[in-house]
Amino acid sequence: MVSRRIFHVVNGVILTAVVVVTLYPFLNIVARSFSTEEEILAGRVNIVPRGFDLTTYRLVMSDDLFWTNYRNTVVYTVTATIISIVLTTCYAYVLSKKHLRGRGLLIGIAVFTMFFSGGLIPNYVLVSGLGLRNTIWAVVLPNAINVFNLLVMKAFFESLPAELEEQAAVDGLGTYGTLLRIVLPLSKAVVATMVLFYAVAYWNSWFTAFLYLDRAELFPVTVYLRNLIAGATDATSTGSADTDVAQVAANIKAVTMVLTVVPILTVYPFVQRYFVSGVMLGAVKG
Amino acid sequence: MKRIAASIVALSLLTACGSSPESTDLEENRAGAMESYTIGAQFKATAPITFDMLYSDHPNYAIKNDWLFWQELTKRTNITITPSVVPASDYNQKRSLVVSAGDAPFIIPKVYPPQETPFVASGAVLPVSDYLDLMPHFKDKIEKWKLGAQIDTLRQEDGKFYVLPGLHEEVWQDYSLAVRTDVLQELGLAAPRTWDELHTTLKAMKAKYPDSYPFSDRFAIPDPGGNLLNMIALAYGTTGGWGYHNETWDGQNFVLTGAMPQYKAMLTFLHTLVAEGLLDPESFTQTDDQAKAKLAAGKTLVISTNAQNLVNDYRPLLKDGATIAKIPFLAGPAGEVKGYTRLESGIMISAKARESKNFVALMQFVDWLFYSDAGQEFAKWGVEGVTYSKDATGTRILNPDVDFVGLNPSGTKHLQKDFGFSGGNFAYGGTTELLNSTFSTEEQAFQQGMSTKTSIPVPPPAPLTDEEREQATLWETPLKDYVTQQSLRFILGQRDLAEWDAYVAELNAKNGPAYIELVNKARTRFADKNK
Repeated sequence: MVSRRIFHVVNGVILTAVVVVTLYPFLNIVARSFSTEEEILAGRVNIVPRGFDLTTYRLVMSDDLFWTNYRNTVVYTVTATIISIVLTTCYAYVLSKKHLRGRGLLIGIAVFTMFFSGGLIPNYVLVSGLGLRNTIWAVVLPNAINVFNLLVMKAFFESLPAELEEQAAVDGLGTYGTLLRIVLPLSKAVVATMVLFYAVAYWNSWFTAFLYLDRAELFPVTVYLRNLIAGATDATSTGSADTDVAQVAANIKAVTMVLTVVPILTVYPFVQRYFVSGVMLGAVKG
Repeated sequence: MKRIAASIVALSLLTACGSSPESTDLEENRAGAMESYTIGAQFKATAPITFDMLYSDHPNYAIKNDWLFWQELTKRTNITITPSVVPASDYNQKRSLVVSAGDAPFIIPKVYPPQETPFVASGAVLPVSDYLDLMPHFKDKIEKWKLGAQIDTLRQEDGKFYVLPGLHEEVWQDYSLAVRTDVLQELGLAAPRTWDELHTTLKAMKAKYPDSYPFSDRFAIPDPGGNLLNMIALAYGTTGGWGYHNETWDGQNFVLTGAMPQYKAMLTFLHTLVAEGLLDPESFTQTDDQAKAKLAAGKTLVISTNAQNLVNDYRPLLKDGATIAKIPFLAGPAGEVKGYTRLESGIMISAKARESKNFVALMQFVDWLFYSDAGQEFAKWGVEGVTYSKDATGTRILNPDVDFVGLNPSGTKHLQKDFGFSGGNFAYGGTTELLNSTFSTEEQAFQQGMSTKTSIPVPPPAPLTDEEREQATLWETPLKDYVTQQSLRFILGQRDLAEWDAYVAELNAKNGPAYIELVNKARTRFADKNK
């Protein structure tokens, strides 16, 4: 009993430390976004805003490009997530069928890409050659299937009792009927997890868009944000005779970060519901 | 059989002939070009042409398609530019990608030599030196401003150069140190003029404020002491910081920078500053924001600056009557010297542009926009009557509603953000008059001070062959990293300067002398070949 209490105490301390370490930087950014630049540079802002100020929010929100890019991010994320979920589910479901001929090969093809890739330039040439550059497809099609997610989903489908599907077949359901009416409704937990994984990944991603898009009005907001934060750092590193160095105010950076992060944060509570129900689903059956 | 072989040889010779003296036959490439395009001429294509261009998008003035710059450019030159917009944060990576993929736009700006070197071997970029006859303004400025020796430093092993640099009439030194002038006044001191005087000044400051470091520097990332070491190395007759090269030209030969006695003297001086508590040891590792915070809090009194930092970063932070100003570029044992380079970053032209029927027009256009006085004035100041006007003496004045670098704080529109002028992709180089035209009076005084200093000699070109470069790359980075690392240890007192000889032996073990021999060999070879 004593050892259990010690465990709880140690656990509590460690978890609190983790919470502090992860939450502090975030709260700090939020506090900065509401503070004046002088207070930030003077190092006086921690988790409470100093010199409360909303002009920066007004400034950032009045930038048309910011909103255009923001809309792009939403469109890209939604489209890409739908495509990814559909493709990953189909592929994973097929792979979960042990009687499938050539299953080993299909798994091998997928896993191969985890270890070897074509490389940056061939990929670029390919996407370019397919005429996808400067279209939404360049962002949402490459990497549509994440192999790790695929394997997780495959394992989940494999764990579903085969009897259920046999029963469905007896009742006259075909392959698609089984997938749509029996398997998927039982897989809400894993689908929700995948939606979350994919949506967060697409929301945060910037590199694909950076590679394949050449017009500022097509960029997702992450590229906008990255340019703002990283700035033209290279100019300083290479030459002294160049004043064209980005000097973006600290509070503008903070405001943009907050505005970019908030929507994806609000997704979590909604998806959480399915995590819980997923856990209970397993418990009842066990 | 023999005959077939012979005809293959003949054929390949023919094709070789057809492709090598490219510069001579341009008959197929003159569409839209001007018949007589000479110095002082306004370039205007005879038919509308569109050129694509890589564009580095600066977060402070994000690109807009309705900028007056684009409209007016098309009106004056009949050329429309299609920009491939790349965020400035990752510009170099995208540039490498598109050039390597053979997909680069014709015009590739913001190339900092020697960044063009990796592209040379692949043949993806144009040897622009072959086509200078199409660029009268460029040639004129090289000649008029005696930039030949500087241009030679850009030459590759084949004797050609692949980047069109921004050209300056005079050496332009923007960076120096900023000092709290109210504290100088309080202490009854004049602004220091040499590094030794700075030492005295810092000691006086320390005596008055014993609890703090009077000097805490910024620009530590990615090159520790980027500006500080760059400046002081120059004053000591070596190279360091942003300007660091493993080899330094001593007038006769290239020598190993990290082993130079001048380099040791510089480290000794900086170590003294640290040991006496005058220079903040964090100067070499902290972020710019941390350094600025210390200045804002009044904890430190001296910091690196350029003209913009002073106005945008420091002055708004200081309160209670605190004042700060840029001090003259400090002199040292090497005398009243300044750097030599009058070249800036520049433009590469994609090799496939040579195949375009508009190639000649492209070169004329680039020549006009980037190298003619009219083109440079347009890129920097905009359109007379709209963004600026000239007074009786010819001085340009921004129109009352237009602001730029704080010259017109009440202006509602911004020259860069709302009109697209003075942007990093198009405006650079030029006459001293044009350069100074956007400077405040105090900055003009600083530049006046710079003009009395002598430039150090231009190092001779020493281009490496592909094989040599491969070898050199293996040696260069470890050498540079080691010198940087040990320099900091010497400065911060983690390593005793008495161990200097041991340190030099370590550099020798890291192939320092072999590298220097390679560079000197390349130098003599190039000199012999181009007598």
